[in-house]
Amino acid sequence: MKKKCNRNLIIYELRNLNGNIMPHFFGIVFPNLMCLLLSRTIGGQASPEVQTQINTSLMLTMALIMPMAIMLLGYGCLYSSEIEKGIPLRMRLFGFDPVGEMTAKIIAHLIFLTLAFLLFGLFQALVMGVQRPAPASFLCLMASLYLLGIIFLIIAHAIANIVQKFSVTFAITMFLYFIFMILTGMMGIRTDQLPTVLQKIAATLPMTYISSDFIDFWQGGSYNFMPFLQSFLFLGALSGILLLYSLYRNKRRVGS
Amino acid sequence: MLLTIHQLQVNYGHQRALSITRPISIDRGERIGVIGSNGAGKTTLVKALLGLVPCEGRIVTELTPENMAVHMQSNAYASTMAVQHIMETVLNTRIRKNQRLRELIDFFDFGPCLSKRFNALSGGQKQKFTIIMVMLQNAALTFYDEVTSGLDFETRQRLTEKLTDWYRDKDDTLMVVSHYYEELEQLADKILILDQGQVAAYGKKEELFDTFCGRVVYILENTPENRRLCADFPILKSPDHLIAISCPDQAAEDKIMRLLAGHNVNFKRSNSDIEIMYINARERFRLEQR
Repeated sequence: MKKKCNRNLIIYELRNLNGNIMPHFFGIVFPNLMCLLLSRTIGGQASPEVQTQINTSLMLTMALIMPMAIMLLGYGCLYSSEIEKGIPLRMRLFGFDPVGEMTAKIIAHLIFLTLAFLLFGLFQALVMGVQRPAPASFLCLMASLYLLGIIFLIIAHAIANIVQKFSVTFAITMFLYFIFMILTGMMGIRTDQLPTVLQKIAATLPMTYISSDFIDFWQGGSYNFMPFLQSFLFLGALSGILLLYSLYRNKRRVGS
Repeated sequence: MLLTIHQLQVNYGHQRALSITRPISIDRGERIGVIGSNGAGKTTLVKALLGLVPCEGRIVTELTPENMAVHMQSNAYASTMAVQHIMETVLNTRIRKNQRLRELIDFFDFGPCLSKRFNALSGGQKQKFTIIMVMLQNAALTFYDEVTSGLDFETRQRLTEKLTDWYRDKDDTLMVVSHYYEELEQLADKILILDQGQVAAYGKKEELFDTFCGRVVYILENTPENRRLCADFPILKSPDHLIAISCPDQAAEDKIMRLLAGHNVNFKRSNSDIEIMYINARERFRLEQR
């Protein structure tokens, strides 16, 4: 019988994730550090009121680093190095269902992401000083970050499964990480300052809307969610196609 | 019938790695030993049966991949946690609550290793770790692919003894790939000889021995005196340092035994030597192929 996702498998994935330094540094230390540095650089001369607004805007942008670093970069590296060693194959030979295994990985990473959010939130509230959000806006941000995390993990999983090499997976996920950061305004260039072609590409990424628009309704107000939802659908569909292709490529076929 | 292979072919690029033209059947409870030199297609056969490599032909079985357990040549695990956690995850159990698992851990003296990480285990401990989990799967068909390769002589011998003891009086179906003839002598009751991706011979150990070696073989050191002494007897192919004399019947055996004893020559008598059988089966197969 195929082994599906279960409690033991989720705990195993959590232990595995905890043993990898990359998500700890890039997913927890790095966004907090970036917030602190950019806040001092950008908002150093501003009045306290403006500085709070700058910090809030920075927080919304830097929050995006966590799902990208933990799920796209960290997971991509961990999983591809496991593929090179033959660990996922060994688990499959023990009867683990690839979909069940991936579900456990997603759950474990979402737990880790929650811990990263908690630490990030505490740091923002205690050290940075940010605007208090409207409950609906806060929930919207959290839901978006979780959903993004799942999509990034699926993309990283599919890439690693397709290329089967740590070095190539690392190069692709690192490339995507920086491209996403550049396109969605995380590197200091606003999306509307980019060339038209890149603006169009940026419009297909949900991170663009979180980075630039969420500050407008952070403390309440109305917002047209349609382009944002469409970008989620696009990225979600893309990750789904990649995943299905990678699962098909690695399918085991015995007998006739 | 547990599994039947028909016209199985596996290609790696333009190179044919395996080509099985005659049907091969495996019954429940059989212990198949697979032998052949490097590149003969042993691991490819295991991978094809496990559905890990694309193949042409038919493998007729009701087994699904989950009904098969395998100890591959190389088995890797995460080194981010103690092996105890990996074991409990793979077997979806708790060691302290699972009597059978505790018995196996004790049987393989693996208890002290449970708190170690996989990369801190020795070669023999790594093999034992996978073997324990493979055994606990209770699979309908279990593969052991060069389970003792890379181990020192003593560890290899102890591990083989453990495996033999464990499977004695059990009806598990096994396919054991090995380069070590003594391992197959202990673990297998049927032998599949592969040569350059083709089946050189397949059958019960005794039948194959009878076909390729005769009733009994006498094995002695290859010296000029011994070669002269045995010149009139049917000589089989053997490793360079040995002479293997085939005895088709009791009369021939009596004659050889008297001769060797009379000249004070040390010898070994065998009616199941897999090495001599393998060499001669392969030789005959190659001659037939020409």
